[in-house]
Amino acid sequence: GTPRGQGRATQLSSPFPVCSLDVPFPSSREATIALRSLSPDKEPRKGGISKLITVSGSTLSVRWSADEARILRVSVNSFLDHLSLVMETMEMFGPPVAV
Amino acid sequence: MTVVIGFEGSANKIGIGIIRDGEVLSNPRRTYITPPGQGFLPSDTARHHRAVILTVLKEALEQAGLKPADIDCVAYTKGPGMGAPLVTVALVARTVSQLWGKPLLGVNHCIGHIEMGRLITKANNPTVLYVSGGNTQVIAYSERRYRIFGETIDIAVGNCLDRFARVIKISNDPSPGYNIEQMAKKGSQYVELPYTVKGMDVSFSGILSYIEDAAHKMLSSGQCTSEDLCFSLQETLFSMLVEITERAMAHCGSQEVLIVGGVGCNKYAEAFKFCIDNGAMIAQAGWEMFRSGQVTELEDSWITQR
Repeated sequence: GTPRGQGRATQLSSPFPVCSLDVPFPSSREATIALRSLSPDKEPRKGGISKLITVSGSTLSVRWSADEARILRVSVNSFLDHLSLVMETMEMFGPPVAV
Repeated sequence: MTVVIGFEGSANKIGIGIIRDGEVLSNPRRTYITPPGQGFLPSDTARHHRAVILTVLKEALEQAGLKPADIDCVAYTKGPGMGAPLVTVALVARTVSQLWGKPLLGVNHCIGHIEMGRLITKANNPTVLYVSGGNTQVIAYSERRYRIFGETIDIAVGNCLDRFARVIKISNDPSPGYNIEQMAKKGSQYVELPYTVKGMDVSFSGILSYIEDAAHKMLSSGQCTSEDLCFSLQETLFSMLVEITERAMAHCGSQEVLIVGGVGCNKYAEAFKFCIDNGAMIAQAGWEMFRSGQVTELEDSWITQR
């Protein structure tokens, strides 16, 4: 099965810009593979942004908060590029081998 | 029998190579070439790598005639290099490592060059001159570690060459350094440039500003040609590198020099296709690591620019 990019993203207007993204995967295993590929690298920017990636069931969830909308946009755009690369890789070279 | 796949993309080359016990089974690569006068920026470079990496991965497997099940471990460049391109490559390496159920190995880019150099030349205990767009170091292996005996105190020699190429607007295809070398062959006049060896180390940023200035003044007044400047720059830079390499060799009592890194493609080096960043060198360094029992846990697999 292949993951489809039907995540739901919301950007609330609040004093501190936040964004949340939920991405469904075909299985918990695949969501976890995505999590472990996407979480090791630190944000390039040292301050003003925080991001938390978690998996619950077969859904990958990302929560951001930032000091400014501009900083948030950069991080979210970058994450979406990375997520789509991981998903394409899983599509082309998956499914995961039996454990 | 150990088969390692290696992913490299720390600068403008993206390469994926497969090595089986010292034999290179495949080593496809793509280079991001910018127009004359322009260098390559991290985000554009990452975009280039992202567009081709999965195609290159398929090529690596197909050219080696292997399936993922035949691979024993996945090596990738952990650093140093440009952040955005490093992340692009690491993402794919981490993902296939998990999809295929194979251990992951984060490799140091510089050590990748050295291990490939040792593999090809079968040099025993050489003094290594590592010269590229991003690195200039004289390295020797001593007491279980690679140690730096001399290095640039500012920019890499390849960076000096690349930036000079931009000033005189020569083509970046196949690489600025290659085109400087071809032009240097037609140079006839030696233009005196600063010679900046500092003990065991070297400095290039002074030479770069001097020659950028000289290019503007001397070319417009017709005092010399671009070819003369290319010739003079090469002679100066390489003489400096020879001096610090000889100094290190005297310290270590070593008789052999191994030249690695893209600048090694110049006339002073032989196996040029492995000098340029490639995936197989990462696979080879990964093979050495794997044999000594090292693996990289996913949580520790973050990339590092330094």
